[in-house]
Order: sequence, then C-alpha cells, then structure tokens
Amino acid sequence: MDDAAPTSSPATSSTPIWRRPVSRRAVLATGAAGAGAAAVAVLWKGSDLAQILNRVRDLTHDYQGALSNPRVRAAHLLRRAGFGGTVQEIDRLAAMSTKDMAQSLLDYQQTSNATLDGQLPTLDLTSAKGPNAGAVQAWWLQRMVQTARPLEEKMTLFWHGLLTSGLDKAGPAQMFTQNQLFRKMALANFDDLLKAVSKDPAMMVYLDTETNRKGKPNENYARELMELFTTGIGHYTEDDVRESARAFTGWTLTGGKQLRYTTDSMFVARLHDSGQKTFMGKTGNFTGDDIVEMLVPLRATAERLSTRLFSFFAYQNPEPEIVRHLADTFQQSHYNVGAVVREIFNLDVFYSAKSYRALVKSPAELTAQTLRATGADARAFVAAANAMAPMGQVLFYPPNVAGWPAGTSWINSSTLLNRINFANAAARRTAASSPAQSVDQLTATLVDGNVTSNTRDGLHAFAGAHPDDRAGLLFMVMATPEFQLN
Amino acid sequence: MFSRRDFMKQGLLPVFAGSAVPSIFANGVAAATADSPQATSNGRILVLVQLAGGNDGLNTLIPFQDGAYHDARPTLRQDSGVLTLNNQLGLHPNLKGLKASWDAGQLAIVQGVGYPSPNLSHFASMSIWETASVQGGIGDGWLGRYLNYLDKVGESPNHALEGVSAGSLVPPELRSKTPVTALQSLRTFRVQPVNEHGTQVDVENPLMKFYGSFKTAAPAPFGALLDTTLQEALQASHALQATDATYQAKATYPANSPIASSLKLVAETIVSGLGVRVAHVTLGGFDNHAREKPVHDKLLLDLDQALAAFTQDLAGHGYGDKVLVMTWSEFGRRVKENGSAGTDHGTAAPMFLLGAPVKGGLYGQQPSLADLDNGNLKFTTDFRSVYASVLQGYLNAPASELLGGNYEILPLLKA
Repeated sequence: MDDAAPTSSPATSSTPIWRRPVSRRAVLATGAAGAGAAAVAVLWKGSDLAQILNRVRDLTHDYQGALSNPRVRAAHLLRRAGFGGTVQEIDRLAAMSTKDMAQSLLDYQQTSNATLDGQLPTLDLTSAKGPNAGAVQAWWLQRMVQTARPLEEKMTLFWHGLLTSGLDKAGPAQMFTQNQLFRKMALANFDDLLKAVSKDPAMMVYLDTETNRKGKPNENYARELMELFTTGIGHYTEDDVRESARAFTGWTLTGGKQLRYTTDSMFVARLHDSGQKTFMGKTGNFTGDDIVEMLVPLRATAERLSTRLFSFFAYQNPEPEIVRHLADTFQQSHYNVGAVVREIFNLDVFYSAKSYRALVKSPAELTAQTLRATGADARAFVAAANAMAPMGQVLFYPPNVAGWPAGTSWINSSTLLNRINFANAAARRTAASSPAQSVDQLTATLVDGNVTSNTRDGLHAFAGAHPDDRAGLLFMVMATPEFQLN
Repeated sequence: MFSRRDFMKQGLLPVFAGSAVPSIFANGVAAATADSPQATSNGRILVLVQLAGGNDGLNTLIPFQDGAYHDARPTLRQDSGVLTLNNQLGLHPNLKGLKASWDAGQLAIVQGVGYPSPNLSHFASMSIWETASVQGGIGDGWLGRYLNYLDKVGESPNHALEGVSAGSLVPPELRSKTPVTALQSLRTFRVQPVNEHGTQVDVENPLMKFYGSFKTAAPAPFGALLDTTLQEALQASHALQATDATYQAKATYPANSPIASSLKLVAETIVSGLGVRVAHVTLGGFDNHAREKPVHDKLLLDLDQALAAFTQDLAGHGYGDKVLVMTWSEFGRRVKENGSAGTDHGTAAPMFLLGAPVKGGLYGQQPSLADLDNGNLKFTTDFRSVYASVLQGYLNAPASELLGGNYEILPLLKA
C-alpha cells in the first residue's frame, strides 16, 4: 500500500484557513459559526494530522484479502468511482499505483468525452416544454454507461441524491439543467455549489424559493438547506429557519415560460427582504449567499458531508477518526469536494476488507453496469430507465427531499426479484450481438472472478447444459449475489 | 412475553437480524393454510395509509365556523361545500366517500393528534411516528413489533405476506424480525425463467444455491440479507402464483390513481387469503409550501375515491368486518398560510379510522386556533394513544408492551 496521501494532499500545502487574508464574508461566517468555529480552531491547532492518519491506518489491520490482487483493486475503484470497468479499463488501471489509479479518475477534465457527446441524442430545450422526462432519464443513463469520465457521472449521481430536486414538482428541462450544474461543479468548492444550487430553477421550484418573497417568506428551502444539505438536525433552531428564509427572498424564475419549464433565474431587489435578520446569533442584512457562507464553515457541515461522501464511496458508518480526517481536509481546502474525494480514494481503508463488497449497488449502478456488460442501443436506455422504478429508484424522481435511503434498504423481496429479472431481460435483448464468453471470463470482469465454489460450479453446470445460450449465462452471472454488491 | 427492555435491546438490532426467520423451505408451512382462525387477532387486518409530506389537517377536518380559520387562510380556506359533521366541523368537500362512511357510523376521527415537543423535520417526525418513540431511530417499527409479537405467541403463519406494503420499499413502521414484502404487482412477483429458444429454463434452484452459499462467504449483513430476501421472495411468489387468477375486484377503482392501484393490490392480496395482517400504502405530495389548494384538493379526492372503492371491494368479498383502515401523516401544517398560497410545516392534525370495526364519531378535542405555539396548534391527543387503542381494542395485542409505555385507550373500536 503506498502512502495515504497526506503529503500530496492540497490540504497540507495550502495556507491554513485561519491564516488567510480575512474577507468581510469570512468575518461574518466565522462570527456566525460561534461555538462551532471555536471547536474547529482547537481541533486544527491542537491535533497532529499524522496522529489521526495513523489511527485511520490502525483500522485497516484486516486489509488485504481479495483486494491484494491489482485487478480486483482496479475493478473495485472502477465500481465505486464509476459504474464498473470493462476488461480493458480494469487492465489499464491494474498496471498503475493506487495513487495514479485515483489520479486518472479524478483528473477527468483532461479526458475527452467526444465519443459520448457524438452518441448522445440532442435534447430540445428551446421548445415551450422542452424534452419529456423519459428522454432526459435515458440521456443520463446513457452518459453513465458510455462516459469516458466515470467519476464525473458518479459525483453527479451523488449530488442528485443529496441536493435533491424531483420531477414531482420541477419540469424535465429544469432537472436537466440542474443535472448539468452538478456535472459542471461535480468536484467544486461546496460553498460555490450551494450558492449555485440555491438559484437553480429546479431547486427553486422543488423547495419553493421561487415563491419566497419579501413579507411572505417560505421556509421550505431554508429548512432543508440546514437539515439535509449542510449541518444536519440539532445545529439550528426554528428561529434560524424563519430568519434564513427571509435571507433567501428575491430570487425568481424568468423567461416567460410556464413555471416548471423555465430554466433561468434572476435576482429582483424589490422582492428581497433587505431587513435585519438574526441567524445563529449574528445579526445583519443577510442574503442567501451570506447564509451559505455561514453554514459551510461549520464543523457539523464538514463532518456531515464527509460522512456522506465516504459512505457513498467506501462503506457506511465510517469511524469517527475517518470523519475527522476528511472534515479537516474539507475545511483546510476551502471546502473543496474534490480534495475530500481524492483523500477517500487514497485511504488504506478504501481498499480494506471492510470496504470490499460493503455497499449494495443502487439501481442506477446496477442498471448502468448491466448495460455496460450487455451493450445497449438507444431503445435500451429508455427501457432500462423505466425498469429502474420497480427496483426502487427513478432518476430525477427521489422519493422525497432526503433522497434515496440507500444501503441495505435497496434490497427487499420485490426489488431483488426485479433486479434479477432486469438482468435476464437485458442479457436477452443483446445476446445475439455479444461475443461468446466463458464462465471464467464473465466472472473475471463482472464479479472479480471471486464467487463461491457453489456458484462457480452452478455456472459451469448451466454453461454445460445450455452451451449455446450466451444470454442465459451472462444473466446467471449478473444474477449472482456477488453482482448485487459494489 | 417481551419486556420493554427486550424491545429496546432489539430495537438496536439492525434490520438484517431478520435472517433468523424460519422460511417455508425450513418449516414447510403452507401459505394456503395461513388464514386459519387466529385466537388473538381473530384474523383482523390493519391497513395504514400514510399521507406523506405533512397533510394540512385544518383543510381536511375544517373548523368552518371559526373566524380565526378564515383569517389565517385568506386564499386557502374552504368557503363552501364543506361536508358538515356538526355545527363547528366539517370534512373537505372532496371527502364525500368518507362522509358516507361517517353517516354509516364507520368513520372515527381523532382530532388534534400529535406529541410533545413537536419536531418540524419531515424525517425526524416520520421516524417518531413510525417507531412510536419520540427518539425515532432505526429500530423496529411499531407495527413491526406487533408482527414480532404475533410470531412470539405462535400466531404468525411465518410467511412473507403477513406484512405487506404496496410499492418498492418496506416502510419503517413494518421493520421487524419477520419478513415483510413490498409488492408492486402480483403477476410479476416471480423470478422469470430463462427463455432459451422458446424453452423455459427454471433458474430458481441454482439461484437458491448461489445465494445460500454466499450467506456465509460474504461479510455481514450482506450475505444473510441477500439469501434471506431471495428465500422470502420465492416463498411469497409461490403463494401468490397459486392464487393470482381468482381475484375479481368488487368495486371500480379510479384509473390513473397511484393510491387506488396500491389499495387494489392490497385488497387483492387480502382476499386471496394469503394471511395478511398489516398492510401499508403511501400517498405522497402533501408538502405544499406553495400553491397548495389545487394539489391538496386533488390529493384528498384521490384518497377519498380510492378508500371508497377499497372498502366496497373488501365488503363485497366478505372482509368488511376484518379490515380497519387508519391514516396518518408526520405533521399538519402551520395555521396561518404563508405568502406563497401554501403552508409551512406544522404540528397536530386529525387521524381517520375507517371501516366496520370502528365506532363512528369524533374523538379527542379540536385544538384551539386562538392558543397557538409559535403559530402552530397544540396537540390534544398523543398519537401513541391512538396506536394503543388499535393494538389493544382491535388487534388484542398488549399495547403497553409494544409501545413501551401506557397511553390512554380511546373507545374508537367495537369490541
């Protein structure tokens, strides 16, 4: 295992945040952070980063197992940072060091996505209503399957599940626009992303900021910004909700189309409540951006986002040391999400036995990896996007503002049958055009060549009994319990 | 019998503890015998209807004579068509089916239901209602604990359709140590065979071997979760396929209504005699911070029409006396409407209990619109009192044990 990247992390090379030139905004933010900011300062100054990292390494004593194999490590990273690897992708990454593997995925701006762009259908955003929901869903699924920048799509999926909006209120063109925003700012600074999301038309419709007016505040966005997007519950009061709702007044949708088809927003000063607001013990003429700048530096925000990212990429319920380390990285990098993700991919624990197959594939991950294995044409993307509903996930349609519950809740008797049946249908659809592959080839690509002996025997028995049924064998591999996990 | 401590202890167990449940493959319980008479619950079935997002109680059970209501709701108030229950209160104009049930003495309404120190977060408050604990959390749901109890006293038919939910997720109320099945369609609830040149190749047996061997090979909880879930799925699927063809609805369910489809699926599962004890359906969309009226009007219309068809269907199949429907929502809305012609998160709201088992009427006390807490209603009946009344008065289960405390029993139900 090479280094866990403390020396290469931007976290340690950049100026500590308390030594940077102090802006008006920063003063406002630090003052508002109150006790939280004080606690952070103590932690930063009083603890040795190396000590924390050593404790993180101590958690990895059970490291090795399947992940000692370079191909398995590469496949693991490609599943987590993307939607699974092809043989060629796995081979290419397996030849690299851990750090270089992560680097090659993180620095995706240098990777051309021209092939994907040439294959994607054109979505008409100029007509009155824009594209329909099915077209936008299929478009995104195609991106997940065919992108040359898997982490870009994976982070877009992460943001969609955290900074939620949905088709139950927002229109397809708005969800498309938001999706592009997430893609563009996939690894950006969190405060910049939240400021942009606060003015994003889909979000403004979904959480009602578009009706939030001076004298007529609407609490919906302000509450969820704190409860779900930043600090989590327990770090703010009902008064903070009411006051920050006033700060977010003034933004409205523009463009002359019907509300849910409008993809532009603008600030209208006369709609903004410019009065004094008292938020988290600080009083001022705050705007929505000011509220974001007060929330993002809070330790609770750093820890919550770090937990969410680690749980999304590695395993759920990370140890406090890991959260602390990632939250430090976040705060010391001026809230840079890319720095945290880079850190996660370089931690020993990411390649530990504790992390291996420790996540259930979400329906999006399962569907995309299945289509990468079977191949897919344009019709297949539309069909597959629809097939995700009975598995429990409809793209652009989270069940509520908290997003999908994820984890083991993806698996129940109904969803498991639908996952298995989808693999069957997808394999059948494209079987004729796919080259014949042996049990060993299929399991090597799709499940790390790592299945129980019973399963291996069963697959060989199936292949022996049905030698011409390529689709059947591909399906059987994708129906294994191993394939359900990530 | 379980002690409160046992429940608290078990409440901390993760969901996958359900892997210890005996499956049909182990104990050979035939689903067809599941509906044999039950000593305690007497085959009674509870259907929960979750109104997700926070239903506007004041525009559901409407204090139409109260000037404060009209003042607080300049654009959202219902000015006409309220279906009066007495000289103070009436149902929303779209609740005509519920009004008919009221007139037939089959609708009980508990007013002002909530709990102390209300939490205005959707998710915190849902969790409180789901677990019947003001701490919320990830432990077994309150009805999951009822399923555990049935299992404990030997009344559980031990098959996966005892608790069912319409949709793709098992709701937290039903989290338990016994299997609970999320259903979307009885017809598709099976492992499709492999179609090799027109020949159907059954794959259930090899898959069972794959998952069975993975149970011990994989780290907890995933191996056990996947294996147990596949077994439950196949068990339920076999039971469903034996009965699928016989059901004919004895009511016309509205088209294009997800809540109607969900209730129809529940009715189908119930009348197929598969041993359903508790069922759960969800109607979402109540979180109307803006432009509430058209959305809320439509939601209540859909709810009312779906419930009317459901009760008619069950009565037609002879299940009228055996099924109690209960609605709940994580909170009501703020008394005063906001500036977006919507309402922000609030507190207390009414609960409806519907069906032949109820003693119709109003229960509890309508909260005052003049005595508010930060603009929110003060609750008058604890929701756990309603739960206790249903557990004790309908399901004949030990409410205090299952709820971890003593709550007033309301005389909502016939003996």
